[in-house]
Amino acid sequence: MAVDIRVAGARERPKPEVSEELNNLVTPGDVITSDTGYLRGHGTYMDDDKLLASVAGVVERVNKLICVKALRTRYNGEVGDVVIGRILQVGMRRWLVETHSKLNSILMLSSVNLPGGELRRRSEEDEKMMRMYLKEGDLISAEVHSVFADGSLSLHTRSLKYGKLGQGTLVQVSPSLIKRRKTHFHNLPCGVSIILGNNGFVWIYPTAMEKTEKTGGYETDLQPVTSADREAIARLRNCVLALAHHRMLLFDTSILYTYEASQKFSAKYIPKPEVMTEIIEIARGRLEREGT
Amino acid sequence: MRETPLTNCEKDFVKKSVAENRRIDGRQPYDTRKAKITFGVDRGSCQVQLGQTRVFAQVSCEVAEPKPSRPSDGILFVNLELSPMACPSFEAGRLSDYGVELNRLLERCLKESRCLDTESLCITTGEKVWSIRVDVHVLNHDGNIIDAASIAAISVLAHFRRPDVTVSGTEITIHPIEERDPVPLSVHHMPLCVTFAFFEQGKYLVVDPTDLEEKVMDGKMVIGMNKHREICTLQITGDIQLEKDQVLRCSNIAVVKVTEMTELIHKALDNDRQVRASGGKFGFAESISIEKVTSNQMKGSEINMEDAEEQASALVLSDQDSETPSDTIEDEETVVHVLNKGVGSIGQGGASQWTIDEEEAEKMQTEVKFKMTRTKSAHKNLPTATDGDLGDNSEEEETIVLGQDMKIISQQERQNSQKMQTKTGDVKMKKGKKYMKK
Repeated sequence: MAVDIRVAGARERPKPEVSEELNNLVTPGDVITSDTGYLRGHGTYMDDDKLLASVAGVVERVNKLICVKALRTRYNGEVGDVVIGRILQVGMRRWLVETHSKLNSILMLSSVNLPGGELRRRSEEDEKMMRMYLKEGDLISAEVHSVFADGSLSLHTRSLKYGKLGQGTLVQVSPSLIKRRKTHFHNLPCGVSIILGNNGFVWIYPTAMEKTEKTGGYETDLQPVTSADREAIARLRNCVLALAHHRMLLFDTSILYTYEASQKFSAKYIPKPEVMTEIIEIARGRLEREGT
Repeated sequence: MRETPLTNCEKDFVKKSVAENRRIDGRQPYDTRKAKITFGVDRGSCQVQLGQTRVFAQVSCEVAEPKPSRPSDGILFVNLELSPMACPSFEAGRLSDYGVELNRLLERCLKESRCLDTESLCITTGEKVWSIRVDVHVLNHDGNIIDAASIAAISVLAHFRRPDVTVSGTEITIHPIEERDPVPLSVHHMPLCVTFAFFEQGKYLVVDPTDLEEKVMDGKMVIGMNKHREICTLQITGDIQLEKDQVLRCSNIAVVKVTEMTELIHKALDNDRQVRASGGKFGFAESISIEKVTSNQMKGSEINMEDAEEQASALVLSDQDSETPSDTIEDEETVVHVLNKGVGSIGQGGASQWTIDEEEAEKMQTEVKFKMTRTKSAHKNLPTATDGDLGDNSEEEETIVLGQDMKIISQQERQNSQKMQTKTGDVKMKKGKKYMKK
């Protein structure tokens, strides 16, 4: 039986290499510029004639617009983003979804596929059956349809690749670590698929559990997952956490490289600080060599 | 700030554990967390810790006009504050429904039980009376605020001293503390609240729920009682249906808890009085132990090992029947391998216990029964280090303090169960019988 002992004490943190972006870092209250010719974007405010940052992050400038992209923030949705959310409430013709944003997101009844794939107007019956489709606590993958005036998101699951999620593992990381790509659904070669939600929720599930086309995504497959798949999912989850801990961007290549680098360790040892540092170093080296 | 919602898995896990009479933090269903009461330098201030839940109470007094309907009664005002410091989901300023409920409970418990003699607070009838104000602030919310708040409120009322007053004709003299010793308030009895959380429509109950249990529970019942078996307040909230005998049973449990707690309060008050009388140092600063490595320390708790032997022998028997060869690593003694500075490991992990026999799902024949009992026992041993009950671990062990080269030599008795645990996975941590560090 293995027991690990760690003595409480100061642990040395490896100093990250200085990158070019560091001179653009600001903290709340820092003066960005005293020049009045700039337009104020997100994360900034005017005080006297100076432009100050209101969040801690990186300054971005597009022509005359200056904004500060926060390092640690709640998810700010944009149209077209893939998100993973949890149903909080079932309401009048809508579901309230938690997406780790400033306000809860809304999934309208008219924005979901009816079970069976029918195309018809939603009736009173459908309203009463809402809880049969999705109830409190369920996880869904959806796409942002639009953003309301107050900033809350309206989601839709109008495609067959979205819908209720079945067996798998959810990992929550900061939304700023998810790289914006063309596709957020990846099937990794280890027999495990991953959905990188833009809101920082990462869903890892076995590829064998792909939803069949006909059911429209409301039936959960409760077949027992094989042990090999479970171990792969656990390893992948630890790799995602290792990447998040080292503030590296999450996308399919970085996750895959970290996964491959972690193969020489047992899955349960990955969360240890030394192991994490080692596999991240290897993955980072590979990424830099391949110029990604 | 909104709280992240609990996952379905967490909720199911808590419910299943409660159904098996286990709790997440290792307590028994009827166990309360150990309370720690510390008094401050000022008279009438104290801090109560119930596990990780912390409240701070303070009493203040001033001279005021009595209520016209009760001209010879003093005024007692109880106030409970919930701030974002306690829990990010509490809003500053605005009192939520939960806050109003707690306030009313505390008020009823203290005022309607007449624990404080308000007539002794009268200075001149109809004109001047003492107005006592108890403010309770919640510093950290880890479940069961009302219990901690009631302990704090009553301790602080017993701890407080008000200035002495002499009335001569129409002249009232309030003596400052330097002139005359302040006078204690007359507290008749100590009403304390005990909270019961119910699961599954009242079928299972736990005493003193933590924050996680409170989020999952169906409903709760709060009984305010003193040690003389007098019920001061009773409130049931939530989605439960309770029978008469359940309520009576709970009140019997509450008597035991309240008696214990009252003793603890008296002991704490005595300690404080002695320290003050002997001229020693008192106050909050003294109660924090600074010499330890981490000043935020958890006390060890008892673990129930009663059924450990039966489970262990049952597992050994079932395992001897099974066909798979055992890959046990029998170590005579444990040696610590030092991996790195400050990191060591004892022993090697066993085989992975995630194997699920694919045939089970299809065939339900008697010959598969052995395999099923084996996997069932494997599932039983899946509790991780966070689960307090160790099931089949019945070995005893002593750990000796770390030496210079960081070797830990632990003695363990070799029993059948030892062979079992090395087999059943590497997830568990070795724990002594007496205590468990969380």
